[in-house]
Amino acid sequence: MRRPPTALLVALAGLIVLPMVTDPIQLRRYAGLIVLSLGVLGVVVATGHAGLISLGHGVFVGLGAFSMATFLDDFSLPFLVALPMSFLFTSMVGWLLGLPALRIKGIYLALVTLGMAIIFPALSKQFPNQTGGVSGRAVDARFDPPPWTGLSADQSVLWRYGFCILVCGLMFWMTNNVLKGRMGRAMQAVRDDETSAAGFGIHLPRVKAGAFGLSAGLAGVSGALQVILFPFVSHEQFTVFLSFRLYAAALLGGVATMIGAIYGVLALVLIPAVNNGLNLLENDVLVFGIGLILLTFVSPDGIAGLLSRATGSDNTKSFWRNVKGRYSG
Amino acid sequence: MALLLQRLFDGLFNSAIYASLAISLVFIYRATGLLNFAQGEMATFSAYVGFLLLRPTEVILAGSGLIGILPGLPWPVPLAIVGAVLFGMAAGAGTERLLIRPLEGRPLLSVVNVSIGLLITINALSTELWTTSPRSFPSPFPSANGDFFAVGDARLRFESIGVWITLLVVLGLLGLFLHRSKAGLAFRAITANRESAQLVGVNVGRTLLIGWAVAAGLGALAASLVADAVLLEPNMMIRLLIYSFAAATIGGLDSPGGAVVGALIVGLTQTLVPGYVPFIGTEISLLPPLVAMLIVLLVKPTGLFGSRRVERV
Repeated sequence: MRRPPTALLVALAGLIVLPMVTDPIQLRRYAGLIVLSLGVLGVVVATGHAGLISLGHGVFVGLGAFSMATFLDDFSLPFLVALPMSFLFTSMVGWLLGLPALRIKGIYLALVTLGMAIIFPALSKQFPNQTGGVSGRAVDARFDPPPWTGLSADQSVLWRYGFCILVCGLMFWMTNNVLKGRMGRAMQAVRDDETSAAGFGIHLPRVKAGAFGLSAGLAGVSGALQVILFPFVSHEQFTVFLSFRLYAAALLGGVATMIGAIYGVLALVLIPAVNNGLNLLENDVLVFGIGLILLTFVSPDGIAGLLSRATGSDNTKSFWRNVKGRYSG
Repeated sequence: MALLLQRLFDGLFNSAIYASLAISLVFIYRATGLLNFAQGEMATFSAYVGFLLLRPTEVILAGSGLIGILPGLPWPVPLAIVGAVLFGMAAGAGTERLLIRPLEGRPLLSVVNVSIGLLITINALSTELWTTSPRSFPSPFPSANGDFFAVGDARLRFESIGVWITLLVVLGLLGLFLHRSKAGLAFRAITANRESAQLVGVNVGRTLLIGWAVAAGLGALAASLVADAVLLEPNMMIRLLIYSFAAATIGGLDSPGGAVVGALIVGLTQTLVPGYVPFIGTEISLLPPLVAMLIVLLVKPTGLFGSRRVERV
């Protein structure tokens, strides 16, 4: 059996240790960052595997959160139904928004998704019944531990944390399977060369819109999980900087591999943790910006590439050598 | 009627600002095929530098020796804007030399990453240095409450006229630069065909450096001029950038004239549409230009005035 990658082991160990060393409030805050890993994974799927540069995944996180709140409170759906519904809803929106991506390529797609991310908070305020408008919306439904767990109500953070980790793990596993399978190979073929991919009989619209739909759905689940952790949604949580953070984290980790997504999540969690601990910067997004620029020069395939080269095990399959210029179109 | 006229005037003012930024985007796109997402943030930062020259005591860096180096601070408004533009040009040139040129021949994603990284970094830096509290950056033109021509019941503000005249003068200078100077000729040669230009001895690196400097200077000018109307704060240009991108896309990303027409379209729809379509309040006045941009990209990616590119496989 192949040894599981070190990054995965480190991440898993961190997940187990975290509840032991933090108080409930901190735990909840970290959990909020950890569920964003699905947003990072969304960027990895869209940008790294399908070659669709997306600067707007914060939009899908927001859509997931708003739809979760609506499904829970307005339709009184139970959590275990509302969660997959949010996934389906955001996937569908992502799929629809992916349709223009069939014609818009490369840098123009980056531009359009950036525009989406900028307008999303203002646009969401226009639907006050679903989003709570300017002031945001408190969610009444609570995800409390069922009696059989033996957890008391004040331990509910632990229960929610565990549930979120479980869902994230499930989504990572599912995505890994998709990426390794027929769909994943088709996506990479499209990324590397659309024309020859079409020549091999790959249905371009299906693959591109499908990839965008899947990646949007992943980001949507991370928004929905945030509603489980914090029963409050507001447009202020989903500004363009959330999208930047997700994009930067994915690129920092290494956008071409699943391992990269895990390193990206580590960056997403550790950078704010260190910054808050040492009280360095007003806003840690600066680190993401500088990191993004530096890594582009030092190691375009992110931390994953950096480490695999350092240890000599080149398992990132140097994506960058393969795609030379293929993002232009 | 007066309302319509007023909206037209307001739209024209906005258009002038979008046009300056759109032209600076087009300028870089034409030469390098790159959309500089950091253009707006570079401009904001330069405007802050102008603000520093104007109100040295009001910002954090005050007293850090700068007042001793530069004579006669605080400077009058026009001089401070010139300072901002010069700073912007230097910063633009530095960016090209240090961050963009080393990426030649690298995949598009690398270049996108650097310009997004720059956007994030400069924005965070502005926040870190100057906080998010909005500051009023006075206009170089008379902009008191009474400074307007009354056209019927509508007000045509001196400020708008001043901004338009500045824009036209700058466009004229830009035209002169492109068509009457050696560097401009080299720039046009690179735009037309980079490899051939290189073969006949055009110094591509230096010319692009100048191009970036000019574009960044234009951006700095736009930011300094708009800062009176929207108040100077770190996020001021993020929305403006999308309007300008929309303007540039609608006009055709490689056509400076198209950028001005696109800016007029965007600026006017921005003030006219929310007035007549209730759903689109001023809050999401970004929606119409964004949708227009999307439609242009889908239907006619070259825009209204752009040239078609032949793609070979």
